[in-house]
Amino acid sequence: MFDVGNILLVVEKVIAILGTIIYLIFALVIVKQVTTMTHQVKDKFNGVLIAFSYLHLLFSLLLALLAWILL
Amino acid sequence: MDTVAPDDQISGLPNMAKNGEVKNIKKEERKVVKSKSPVDPELRQKVYNILGKTKHPLSSFLVRPHVFTFQEKDEEEEILVALRPHWITNVGWILITIAMVLGPTLIKSLALINGLPAKYQILGELFWYLTTFAFAFEKFLSWYFDVYIITDERVVDIDFNNLLNKKYSEAKLSMIQDVTSKQIGMGQTMFNYGQVLIQTAAEINELRFDNIPNPDKIVKVLQLMREEEDIEAIEGRVK
Repeated sequence: MFDVGNILLVVEKVIAILGTIIYLIFALVIVKQVTTMTHQVKDKFNGVLIAFSYLHLLFSLLLALLAWILL
Repeated sequence: MDTVAPDDQISGLPNMAKNGEVKNIKKEERKVVKSKSPVDPELRQKVYNILGKTKHPLSSFLVRPHVFTFQEKDEEEEILVALRPHWITNVGWILITIAMVLGPTLIKSLALINGLPAKYQILGELFWYLTTFAFAFEKFLSWYFDVYIITDERVVDIDFNNLLNKKYSEAKLSMIQDVTSKQIGMGQTMFNYGQVLIQTAAEINELRFDNIPNPDKIVKVLQLMREEEDIEAIEGRVK
């Protein structure tokens, strides 16, 4: 017989991991977009913004890994 | 027979000048090119008198910026002013970000998610803070890269909306037909920001500078620049 509780847990895990992967793709889009923006308009803080976009990507990757390990 | 005049630099250089001297001459030539501004110095002074000075690098009103530049700028083109929407337009998203940062603390204090397993709570909290950062970052980028530029040759509008849409529009100063400014409501009047509408004879017949600080100064500067363009056209100095 199917254990409904177990199935629900698996579904939750899949949804959480998929969510973090989609977020990771979004973080990649941000990096790409910041690069394009800083290429188009050059100003004093461009370096800081690029650094922030990569930090965001790194944290998104860590979140995806954490979701994979913890759940 | 020495047919070359002693002060003839071009023909005299290969024999006489050392490498250092050649470099110096090249540097001087470059300096001359750099200082060759297409704008009349008097007019330029008038423009800068109207615009005033920039107070800090994150200002929405960058007068004669030294670091700021854009991809399509010509080498000899001079940026008179670069504009971003007034800082007050950022208050809304800053308040939302503060509320989002405080969100998890509030939810915890109300014991709304105590039934969830601890690992889900930790992941949920991390995900929430990351989303909050992304929201604030995206809003900041939308403000920072929404720039309007007035150079000595043209007006430029660069827009990045929602990270995925990019819009670049420009119009030569000589193509500008009409400039109007609008300040609507108490907020815009109090903080002195508003909209400048530039009607042009170009393919893009209207450029709109939204929420820019000191719209009246921009209108005055554009009027001055247009007058100069008209005089140039009459005198046949059009570039």
